[in-house]
Amino acid sequence: MSSSRILTSGNEAAGEAAARAGCRLYFGYPITPQNELTAYMAKRMPEVGGVFIQAESELAAISMCYGAAATGGRVMTSSSSPGISLKMEGISYAAGAELPVVIINVMRGGPGLGNIEPAQGDYFQATKGGGHGDYRLIVLAPWGPQEFADMTGEAFELADFYRIPVMVLADGLVGQMMEPVVFRDPPRRELPPKDWALTGAEGRAARRVVSFYIGAGVLAEHCRKLRAKYDRIESCETRWAETDVTGADLALVAYGTSARVCMEAARLARQEGMKLGLIRPQTLWPFPKAVVRRRAEEGMPMLVVEMSQGQMVEDVRLAVEGRAPVGFVGRGGGGAPAIAEILAAARALRKKA
Amino acid sequence: MAINLKKLSAKQDLLAGGHAACAGCTGPTVIRQALLAAETPVVCGCATGCMEVTTTLYPFTSWRTPFIHSAFENSAATMSGVETAFRALRRKGRVPDREIGFIAFGGDGGTYDIGLQSLSGMLERGHKMLYICYDNEAYMNTGIQRSSATPKGAETTTAQAGSVKAGKDQNRKDLTAIVIAHNPAYVAQAVPSLPNDFMTKVQEALKADGPSFINVLAPCHRGWRCKPDTGIEIAQLAVETCFWPLFKWERPGRLTITYKPKEKRPVAEWIKLQGRFKHLEEPRNRHIIDELQAEVDRKWNELLAMEAATQAAQSKAG
Repeated sequence: MSSSRILTSGNEAAGEAAARAGCRLYFGYPITPQNELTAYMAKRMPEVGGVFIQAESELAAISMCYGAAATGGRVMTSSSSPGISLKMEGISYAAGAELPVVIINVMRGGPGLGNIEPAQGDYFQATKGGGHGDYRLIVLAPWGPQEFADMTGEAFELADFYRIPVMVLADGLVGQMMEPVVFRDPPRRELPPKDWALTGAEGRAARRVVSFYIGAGVLAEHCRKLRAKYDRIESCETRWAETDVTGADLALVAYGTSARVCMEAARLARQEGMKLGLIRPQTLWPFPKAVVRRRAEEGMPMLVVEMSQGQMVEDVRLAVEGRAPVGFVGRGGGGAPAIAEILAAARALRKKA
Repeated sequence: MAINLKKLSAKQDLLAGGHAACAGCTGPTVIRQALLAAETPVVCGCATGCMEVTTTLYPFTSWRTPFIHSAFENSAATMSGVETAFRALRRKGRVPDREIGFIAFGGDGGTYDIGLQSLSGMLERGHKMLYICYDNEAYMNTGIQRSSATPKGAETTTAQAGSVKAGKDQNRKDLTAIVIAHNPAYVAQAVPSLPNDFMTKVQEALKADGPSFINVLAPCHRGWRCKPDTGIEIAQLAVETCFWPLFKWERPGRLTITYKPKEKRPVAEWIKLQGRFKHLEEPRNRHIIDELQAEVDRKWNELLAMEAATQAAQSKAG
């Protein structure tokens, strides 16, 4: 595939970006609305000399990632909400063993089997653990096919740089919509050597990749090490985009598809003389609390818009700490929030503020 | 216990029309035949998959039976729970003391792959229930991905055919043999094109003293790339070629082939009707047809030998 602009779906763009980033080991399992990505990798991995395996379950796919990542490869799996739930055990293990695994979640409506509409109900699961134990993932939140591609490519760099599982948290709309995409090289980092990878111990000391620390105090020490890494990530990798926030009447806070809807809401608001800015977190963990706090200190009211019944809004409130009014527009069960509803909530919040 | 079609025609269909399955889908035919055959009230469960999503579009349902769905990998476990609860309540006199059939349905993805563990658990624990797999040989609901039931050489969206690959590399998993290895009460293979055979097996399975399993080949014209009105014909040809032999296995090891083709047709005839095997016509892929034929012959000869052994044991005992 040439590097010129092509029209493609978010799912396929993420697959191509992964291949370009050096992903050569992909383990998948069918689930809507991410099947285009699995099918793309089935075709693409053999072309680039990589491996595509369709596992017998999500549990198997994430465990294959665990095994392959332990050998030092660039590995990826993808799924959608119910399937990500099934992967949680393996994700916790990968976090414990500090394995660089890229996990893509193309979210759909839940809970349960839910439906196959785009949704953002897995925010808590992605950013607050999901699996058991005291761990974090880097969580990237694309708002369209271009960013889905960019973030997937960069996810491999982040995973290898920090030796951490990275989740790209898209939704069904971002995955299925088609837009022009240019494949760009992710910003390359000076990566630490994978001197932990299990590559055969002949002629060198044996290595161990483990997530089991039974001795007294050993796990506590390991968790302190993880915490220090998470602190480093929080200070270096927090990302967001601000649009027209300075001088706005209030700031919308939204990610992914919700943020796209907010952009249109802001455009329509201008026609009635209301200035709406947008704070769009691009990393959900680490959450951009500093920018939210700074805007709150300026007294900027915030309206959080999510395709859930209110998850990220809790992080916004934690960052705001009562310094400014925080409103919420959300929608459970899949589907994008209505612009009219956002505008009505913005008017009400502005009056109150 | 012969099936009386005249009597059956007077019974109410327990799977109502108006569901959202594709025109020409053989899945609902399988379910309708199974439910018509039941001689007692039945409680049904179904794994996530085509038959679950198309028959239970809330607030509608096609099921005129009590019905439960929970997830993809656990139809057998969910129904194990239902059957256990019924047994407990019956023992305590909390529900009327009468026979009720419990049937779990699942597609091949939900049975051969992700649901194998819960199927095995149900068989091993010995729940008195019937598991029916409607086997359309791939994950059709999510867009035709290969499963361990997909035959060698068949093309799917994750086992593609082109200049490098020729569809799926591996032979299909013999799930029926795996189930038999659990020594359950009753196991069979069936097709919707021979309803008498299938419905007799459902009746025998529901009466069996323990867990039972019927594997039903259910052609999917979308995934098999054939005409929508050919599902039944292709199911029958699967039997006539011995690709899908019809037999029943009863504890402690009696195997009976319930339909023997008058003339065993070459598997190539069955393949020819399906677009998913189209690339096998290319000279470089012809060997795959031979390999498929060899696998069919191996399995068929194994079944003939098992049947002969059963008959020998019976005549010895008699």
